[in-house]
Amino acid sequence: MSSYRLGATRVADTFAEAFPMRFSRLVITAATADWVHQAASSATGFATSVIGCKCEAAIERPLGAAQTPDGRPGAAVLLFAMDREGVGKRLIERVGQCVMTCPTTACFDGLQGAERTVPLGASLRYFGDGFQASKLIAGERFWRIPVMEGEFLVCDSAGVGRGVGGGNLIIEAGDGDTALRSAQAAAEAMRGEGIALPFPGGIVRSGSKVGALSSKSMPASTNHQLAPTLRAQTSDTLVPDGVGAVFEIVIDGVSEDAVREAMRRGLHASAAAGATHVSAANFGGKLGEFHFPLAELRDPP
Amino acid sequence: MTLTFTLRTQPPARVPVPAVIPQRLRGLGPSKVSALTVRCGRQVLAVGDLFEVSGTGDDQLVLAGDLRRVDAIGAGMSGGRVLVEGPCGDHLGARMSGGELEVRGAAGAWAGAEMAGGVLRLTGDAGPRLGGAYPGARVGMTGGEIIVSGDAGEEAGASMRRGLVAVGGQTGSGAGLRMLAGTVIALSGIGAEAGIGNKRGSLVSGQMVQPPPAYGFATRFRPPALRLQLLRARELGLSVDDAMVRGTWARWSGDRTELGRGEILIYDPEEAG
Repeated sequence: MSSYRLGATRVADTFAEAFPMRFSRLVITAATADWVHQAASSATGFATSVIGCKCEAAIERPLGAAQTPDGRPGAAVLLFAMDREGVGKRLIERVGQCVMTCPTTACFDGLQGAERTVPLGASLRYFGDGFQASKLIAGERFWRIPVMEGEFLVCDSAGVGRGVGGGNLIIEAGDGDTALRSAQAAAEAMRGEGIALPFPGGIVRSGSKVGALSSKSMPASTNHQLAPTLRAQTSDTLVPDGVGAVFEIVIDGVSEDAVREAMRRGLHASAAAGATHVSAANFGGKLGEFHFPLAELRDPP
Repeated sequence: MTLTFTLRTQPPARVPVPAVIPQRLRGLGPSKVSALTVRCGRQVLAVGDLFEVSGTGDDQLVLAGDLRRVDAIGAGMSGGRVLVEGPCGDHLGARMSGGELEVRGAAGAWAGAEMAGGVLRLTGDAGPRLGGAYPGARVGMTGGEIIVSGDAGEEAGASMRRGLVAVGGQTGSGAGLRMLAGTVIALSGIGAEAGIGNKRGSLVSGQMVQPPPAYGFATRFRPPALRLQLLRARELGLSVDDAMVRGTWARWSGDRTELGRGEILIYDPEEAG
């Protein structure tokens, strides 16, 4: 495969392939930053892949008290699913089980003005068993759900936008420590407004391929072509010479531009941190509507 | 551009000016506006007899002078902005459904009565029945926001169904009378006999008061919705102490002779957070 150099890093002349998804942004607030983190981490847990978890979610960014509707510490959380109905179901599950249950929290719509919405408090209110009450504040309806601590305040509905899911970078280096350090640098650089990195720490060590060689019933299995330990065992290895470990970063974003710019930041950060090779995963361009050629990311952010 | 009405002389009797609203005067020049008529007691007067009119109507009106005998300013307005420089009469912004009405002074009775939307701001005091229902009407205010920096008279928010009435000073007696829902906030305290007949409404008192006997004490807590409402009132120009935003409030539930789902929230400074 042809490539270009970014310092000492060889960047493959390939592209990442991504898909249209629907997403919502929630703003979770609480009495302290620690309780915000507890709620947001819980709400975005087990949400790494839409195939296995029905949604992909991550903390987008922490918010200071001046940036939240109720003037308390908060966090913006992004949740992606394949369609609006999926977003709605996952929001109700996750806010109901992970945010409402967490001490001192409140939950706000972070995508106000979106053309489409899904009910959130409008459904969760029934937990109030008839004792719930609503308030219309600055034109937005909220539900006050009585709970053992006091009240849980939640927005009536959440906006749903059109996003992009499945942008990715594959980061390779001569040893595991360097590869991980490079991937961490990339993940750190990629995080920001409009970006969700749904895997633990933003990094995947077990990239998958569609289907399996050994079974017809497996929907996905290990990406053996990128497993360094199988290099001598398989004839179709894609692990370059000298590479000892490979990590993938999966990027979901609120727009094509957001994903592209996150990939650009990640590519340059990983190169600076010692990655020997950077590549990207695709399906030959047949499945995903969005293509992100690495050649277009050569200019630094 | 702004259309400006400056009062020439005190009218001989009370003058309602419901036609002086942005949507009725849009695009009209001073001569056409001056030729409009208003009723003053038994007389019919031209607007130009009472006001010196300048500018062009374009969604923003300014009325200036001692307008205490001029009623129904901004009544029924659905958009635009009206600024009143001075005190004004009764029925200010009554039945308005949108836009912004600001008074740099005090207002008479029935300000914001049966209001359905928009923002009404007063830097001075408001008279009785702020945001209330007219006699015979079951429902008062159904939406919008009223911000009063001074005090409000008796029966503020009477029969209101939705919306926010936030008063920096005190409300007179009978605030939230037969309230269906909505919120009345009085940062310096609600008057006596507040919340009688309240079904689902919220009455908020920034000072200790004794709720009516039909209310029962529930708990002290930090109400998250009130925090949001206080921040909203602050955004609309009301001076709200941080301690109240962050603080603890006692919740009393009532009126138990009615539906009993209303509440009176009373600030508890001893437990301020």
